[in-house]
Parts: sequence; structure tokens; C-alpha cells
Amino acid sequence: MHFFQNTNIDFLGKRKLFYIVSLSVIVIGLAVFFAKGLVIGIDFAGGTEVLVRFQKDVPIEQIRTAMSTAKIDGAEIKTLGSERDILIRTPEQGEGTAVSDNIRQALTTGIPDNTFEVLRIDKVGPKIGKELTTSAIYATIFSLIAILIYLAFRFEFVYAVGSVLALLHDVLVTLGLVAIFGYLFPDLHLELNQGMVAAFLTLIGFSVNDTVVVFDRIRENIKLYKSEDIYHVMNRSLNYTLSRTIITNGTVFITVLILLIFGGEVNRSFAFTFLIGIITGTYSSIYTAGAFVVDIKNFMDKNKKGIIPGKLSVKKA
Amino acid sequence: MRKNRFRIILTVLFLGLALYFLYPTFKDREFNKDISKLTNAQDSAAFFDKNGNDVIKAKEDRIKLGLDLQGGMYVIMEVDIAKLLTDLAKKKDDNLTQVLNQVSEQSKSSDEDFVEMVDIRLREKGLSLKAYYGEIRDDESSIKSSLKTEVENAIDRAIQVVRNRIDQYGVSEPVIQKKGSSRLVVELPGVSNVQEVRKLLQGTALLEFKLVIDPQIAVKVMEKINTYLAGGNLDSLVKADSLTKIAKLDSLKKKDTTGVTKNNIKKDSTSITEKKDSTKKDITKKDTTKKDLTKKDTSKKNTTKMDSIKPEDSNLTGLTDSNGNPLDTGKQLSEEEFKAKNPWFYLVRPQQFQDGTVAWFVREADKQKVQKLIEKKEIQDLIPTDVSFAFSNRSTFVDEGEKIYQFYILKRDPELTGGVVVNARSNIDPSNNTPVVYMEMNSDGSADWARITGANINKQIAIVLDNVVYSAPVVRSKITGGSSQIEGMANIQEAKLLEIVLKAGALPAPLTIIEERTVGPSLGEDSIQKGLYSSIIALILVALFMIVYYRFAGFVADLALLFNMVVIMGIMASFHATLTLPGIAGLILSIGMAVDSNVLIYERIREELRGGKPIRTAIEIGYNKAFSAIMDGHVTSIITAIILYQFGTGPIQGFALTLLIGLIANLFTAIVMTRIIFDVMTGKGKTSINFG
Repeated sequence: MHFFQNTNIDFLGKRKLFYIVSLSVIVIGLAVFFAKGLVIGIDFAGGTEVLVRFQKDVPIEQIRTAMSTAKIDGAEIKTLGSERDILIRTPEQGEGTAVSDNIRQALTTGIPDNTFEVLRIDKVGPKIGKELTTSAIYATIFSLIAILIYLAFRFEFVYAVGSVLALLHDVLVTLGLVAIFGYLFPDLHLELNQGMVAAFLTLIGFSVNDTVVVFDRIRENIKLYKSEDIYHVMNRSLNYTLSRTIITNGTVFITVLILLIFGGEVNRSFAFTFLIGIITGTYSSIYTAGAFVVDIKNFMDKNKKGIIPGKLSVKKA
Repeated sequence: MRKNRFRIILTVLFLGLALYFLYPTFKDREFNKDISKLTNAQDSAAFFDKNGNDVIKAKEDRIKLGLDLQGGMYVIMEVDIAKLLTDLAKKKDDNLTQVLNQVSEQSKSSDEDFVEMVDIRLREKGLSLKAYYGEIRDDESSIKSSLKTEVENAIDRAIQVVRNRIDQYGVSEPVIQKKGSSRLVVELPGVSNVQEVRKLLQGTALLEFKLVIDPQIAVKVMEKINTYLAGGNLDSLVKADSLTKIAKLDSLKKKDTTGVTKNNIKKDSTSITEKKDSTKKDITKKDTTKKDLTKKDTSKKNTTKMDSIKPEDSNLTGLTDSNGNPLDTGKQLSEEEFKAKNPWFYLVRPQQFQDGTVAWFVREADKQKVQKLIEKKEIQDLIPTDVSFAFSNRSTFVDEGEKIYQFYILKRDPELTGGVVVNARSNIDPSNNTPVVYMEMNSDGSADWARITGANINKQIAIVLDNVVYSAPVVRSKITGGSSQIEGMANIQEAKLLEIVLKAGALPAPLTIIEERTVGPSLGEDSIQKGLYSSIIALILVALFMIVYYRFAGFVADLALLFNMVVIMGIMASFHATLTLPGIAGLILSIGMAVDSNVLIYERIREELRGGKPIRTAIEIGYNKAFSAIMDGHVTSIITAIILYQFGTGPIQGFALTLLIGLIANLFTAIVMTRIIFDVMTGKGKTSINFG
């Protein structure tokens, strides 16, 4: 079985169009992100902790259903000691007894055949404190710089810049899309939690790897097709690696899709974010990562040779 | 062929090692199954009699799951804010005590700010915060906000103290959250022993500065215990009630010490001096012999042999055995004989250093025993009333895989308590690039400190928190200004820890456990089940796809995937790593990259086959050409993983570690392992292998 054999698609020809698409998604997405924000999960925001004791053992799943029917989202539900004592943490920060009243209501209607009492209600601080968040941000920035340096050594500096740009593109597009989806479909219950952070870290890994594979082929083809300009070499390389790109990312896509469909509510933020990330990453490694490099190279050549703007040194295929 | 043989040996070796490390995890599961079958007490007792040690060992060596996947202990702790506010008050009276008690009670069920509540209660009585905490010119709101900051700081420090205690205990990835106005929720994954947790977390973090007792006197005290434990004649020993008396009666002769120096044993070698001014740098010149000692220690850390402080070497200055003979006759004794004659020195091993100091060392395994012994009444009666013992906060060096702790003999009453410390800061001394901790004291403390340091130059003062010695710097000069600098720490982490300890010492608020329970996994059993099932379905689908698409080669790739997962889990187990949700994300990423490596190689091989190359050449070229892409992709990710591990915390580290392990395992399987199969096949003369 072979997919995408001997393709000859001009991926770079419409790059201006794809720039516009990417840019608009980023702009709209970030606008939504900053205007509406993401729902901050209990890991980061803290919330209210309620301990309830049921008359008899109760499956966690039943409580989760009861909670989501009552629109109490993003709760962390776990047993405490026995199957009767259930600890519910919700990101809600209502005044007085508002939150516990809601939970009480939800459990009464959701689990009618099992009476319960509320043992304790407390406010809790975030699990992931400020210092954890800042250290994560620093770690990401440092790793971006390290990637830049390594790729500059292995390829050319332009390629290093191209792949880091592609990486930023993926993170921003994914963040934007998650914000948009979260805003348009609140029922998805997308929230910023540990899982979402993990998804972003994972997508960074995939994104760089994807770009590196394409660039590796370019590096090889530049030597093989010396007479061709960068534009054609790049298109050729993208076509050569197309089947690999689709197969690899396709398998990962399927894995995450299954997790999204069957993984339950708690795994959803991770699965959804990562799914968007995989699509974005695939798209960027085909349409934008290489395009960035071509345009940066053109820009530098133009400046060097003093060619009039508009008259590019590359021809369209 | 020879190349193949080497690869095969390597593969089998890795697989074997991985399985070896995974065995405890498997064993632990088996034990758990068996244990759950036990119904009555007799059976359980019999089971643990038979398997007790194995059960514990398996539990220690298995792959640990994080709180999100496994659950553990759930503890609520309270910081005694009332005590903090009492200590801070400039004027103390019954009204204040009453209000603070009321508010403490109230805070148990309220999220209101503690200071606000105190303020309200005081107003009800017609009093104000200013009356207790302010100067004349201070306004009410600034007093309130500064009090709030103090409370906030106390809780933050409490978090540090708790984190410290947990870290020492070796529980990875604990969760510590603020809760309400004065409480902490502490969750410890995989811990189920209530007693242990209580011992670990409870208690006031009281910082003290204690004098380390002179070696000659310490030796006398230790000899006494040794003689007693060996059943020797106590009358032959000096009967002394206090150290001063011993010191007077002490007729210790100094021997030549050159022969007994052991540079490779690490003891605390920090020193304390007046904080350097740039102008008087030369005055506080560091003791270079000491510095050298530290350096050597770190380099030899792992090769240090306990042999060097085995009985036959312990010919210490003036030290005598239970019969009053010099201890160096031990040279002729076997280890067993030595143990019988000198039970105490067998547990607590003395070691003399070049500078004449004696340090005492205890193996980790003996720590409990020693602790029990020194708590005994008979021993307590034996030693002078003003002597106490303490261990170092962590092992000072490792010998034959066993951690060795330093054992300190201290003056019971602290010279100074931590309340006088107003600030502490760790830094790198720019003049010589070594870590240093600066400590500031208030004016009362400074005066005492000047007297204490002045009287004890070249002696050690131990910094003790929770009766654990964090550092015992040698006093190098009289410190008059209240600013001290401690140097000689091995690294910046050690300095940072000392800073936290010194700061935590200023925390006058005791921590109490108010509730402890076992807790289920935070993701919920249901979510874990769902996540697990969907991952298994996904993996099977991917494996099937590979076979459908790449036929035989796909099958080989699937084998590689399986091998990979076993190796990753094996390495995780050998690292004693904790698996959490972010860790699983790292695993998914590395499995994705493993699939990718195979796809890259196979696509290349197919290209070559399409070009009409024979199978052997196609495989050769395919692997070679795919190599650079695989290598660059992996190295980039490895760099990222290392940085994330280095700078990240908690969940980020979990992600980075599994990713790192996964990537390294991948590189091996992708480049070495699958190749073997194809090479062996073509080597045997196969002219076609199905790449789909």
C-alpha cells in the first residue's frame, strides 16, 4: 500500500495565502484569548474543596455525570479513605455557601438513591503555584534558544530561524484555536490545566521534529540538485517527505482522536489541545516552515544584491 | 556478521536489564494480589513473616505512580498564626490572647483573612491593631498590611519547611496547597503509613545554633557509652555530670595524627566569618586546607570506601575501647570481635581529620538503631546533662551504595535560637566563584553572636533545624556586625537549602497535623481506566496499521515498539522515577517519534526499491539516508527535554524525564535493533523482504 507516491504539488506557490490564513487565525485566536481568556483549571486557579459522605459506596463516574449535568465543570473528584467519602474540588470561588449549595443540589438531583452529608467546605489555593508557572515559562524559552543554536550548527542559521518561527506559529495557532473553540463551544470544557500544559509541551516536540525532517531532506537535495533554486528544491523535498509526514502524523492523530473520544472528560483538555496541535504542526511543516525560509532567504538576497522589491529571484513553478 | 553479533548482544543486554528492573514492579503487583486475598490476621502475619522484606523491597523498587494516577496520603496541616501574632506583638495582654484564641477557633471554619478577623475582634473590644503592633506614627492600614505580609510569609515558609521535610523523606512529586487562611493541604503519592507521615510533618521548625562539643570531650562521652554497651566497668571511667567537669579532668594526650588522616571521608567543612567587605577581603582569608578537603571529597564521593573507617583503621587520638585500652589495638581484631568489644563505635564510627577534629559517622541502616539507643534512659543518664546528639540532614557521602550520615555531639542548650535571624541569602561569591550564604541578625542577636563567635574561634557551631544539623561551620573570626557569611558548601543547591533553613528558622509558627487520610487518584479511577483503555486501543490500531501498510517491515517496527516500551519502563524503574499524567504525555511523544523513525527509514527504503536497487543495498542506503533526519530530530528533542528537566519543576520534570528516556531508547531501537533483523535476513540470502 502506498499513499502520496510521486506527488508534485506546488506547496510554496500559495504561501502568501497560507500566511494570511495563519496570521488571521493567530490574530483572531489571540484576540479571543486575551478578551475571553481560557477557563483556568483548578490546578492553576485554586477553588473550593467539598468533602461529602454518602450513605453507601458511589462510583466516581456517577458523581462526575451529576456534576456535569448541573454545569459544574472542571471538578477534580476523588475518593478519600473509602468509596463513600468523596472529595470534590471545583474551580468555582463563590461567596459563602453558594458553591456548596450548587454541589449539594447537583448531587441530590443526580444521585437520588444515595443520601449524603457535606462534611467540610474549604477554599484551596492553586496546586501549581506562581513559581511553577514561571519556571515552566523559563524552561520553554531556554529550550527555544537551545533549539535555535543546535539547528544553526546542523543546518544554516536561516533554517534554525525558520523552524523556531514554525514552532511559535504552531503554539500560537493552537492557543488561538483552543481559545476560539473554548469560547464557541463551552460544553467542550476546555480548561487550562496540567493536561493542557503537557499537550503544549508535546506539540512543541512534534513540531520541531516535523520541521527538522523536512529540512533534512532539503539539506540533502540542495547537494543533489545543484542547479535548482531553493524554491524548487524545497517543493521537491516537501513532496518527497509528504508520505512520511502524513503517515507519522496520521498515526499520532488517530491515537489522540481515540483518546479524545473515549478518554473521558478529564483527559479532554489534553487530547483536544494536542489534536489541534498535531493538525497545526502538520500544516506548518508543509506550508509555512519552508516558506519562511524561502522568504527570509529572498529577503536577505534582495538586500545583498540590491534588487528592486517585487522582483523576486525565484520563479513560480 | 561480527557487527551483527555485537548488536544482538547489546539488544539482549538492554532487554535483560529492563526486565530485571521491571521485576520488582511485577512482583509488587503479585504481592498486592496475594495480600488482598488474605482474610484473617493470622494469615497476614504469617505472610509478612515469610515475605515481609521482599514486599518492602518490591514496593521500593517498583515504578511509582504519581498522585494523579495512584493516590496516596492526604494531610491537612495548620500553621499556628496565633503564636506568630503573639510573638510579633509589642505588648501582650489577656485581651490579645483572648482575641487570638477566638480567631484561631473561628478560622477553622472560615476563609476570612486572619489579620482582618483579629482586627474586627479587637475593634469590638474597643481596641486596635495599632495598640499592639504599631508605633505612634504608623497608620492603621499600613500596620494591617505589614501584618498580613508577615502571615503570608509564615505560610510560605511553612510550605518550604514541609517541602523540605518531604524531599528529605524521598517522596517525589508531592502536592502542597494553601487552604483557607492558615492551612496547608499536603498530598503524598504512594505513602500509606500514617505514623511515618506524622513523624515527618508534625512539629515546630525551630532553628537553633548549637555548639559542637570539643572532640576530646566528645570522645570521652562516646567512650562512656561504648563501655556501657559492652558491659564494661563504668567505675574506671570518669564520673562527670557536666562537660566542664570532664574538660577539667580530661588528661587526653595528643598523639601524632599524621598516620590517620583520611581525606576521602567527607565531613562538614563549612566555615563562618564576618561578612566580607570589599576592602577587607584579605583579612578573612579562607582556610585553604579545608577547601581542598571539600574538593577532594566531592570528586571521590562515590569511590569512598567504608573500609577506610573500618575498625582496624580507627586508631584515634586517645580513644580507648571498652577495656580502657587504646582503640588502635583494634588492628588485630576482626570486624565481629570489634563489634562485640565496641558495640557503640561499631555503629557510630569515629574518624580523625588532619586538623585534629574528630567526626562521627553512621550508616543509613544503623540510623534508627542509634536513634533508639540515644533515646534510652540508661544512655541519657550516662551522658552529661548538657549534651545532645543530632544527625546531619542528609548523607555526607556514599559508601558501597550505602548513605553515610554524620553524627554530631552538641551542647544541649542552644547558644542562640533562630528568632534573631532577620534575613538569609545564598549567593555565589564573585571573588572565587564558590557558593556562600549571608546571614543577618537583629541587634540583640548580633551582640550575643559577637560574644559567642568570639569565644569559640576555630570551633564548630551547628545550625540545627528540627534537631537535624544542616551545617556546622567552623568559626573563623569574631563576628561583631551581625552579618555573617558561611562558605564551603559543595554547591549552590546546598547554599540555597541553608538559606531556606535559616529563613525557616525565623518561623515561630508551629505546624500541626489536623487531619490525615488516604486519598484516591486525583484524576479519578474512572478517568484513568478510560485513558488506559483508549491508549491501548490506539496502540493496537497503530500497530495494525503499520502491518497493513508496511507488511513484514511493519511487523518488525511493531516489535521495535514493544521492545522500546519495555526498555523505557525498565529505565524508569531503575531511576526510581514517578509516572504521572504529564509523564505519560512524554511517553506518547516518544512512542510517536519511534513510529516516525521507522516510517522515515521505510519510506527511504521503498524509494530505493522503486529505483530498482536490490534489497540489501536498499536497506543499507535507506538506513543511512534516514539517519541524519532521525538524529537531528532526536537530538533537538533531547536538548529540549534536558532543559525542561533542569529548569522545570514537578509535572514538567516528569514530562521531560520520560521523554528523555524514551528518546534515548528510540535512537537505539531505530538505528540498531530493527536493522539486526533485516541484516540477518539479507545475510541469510533472502532477496526480498516485504516493505509493503
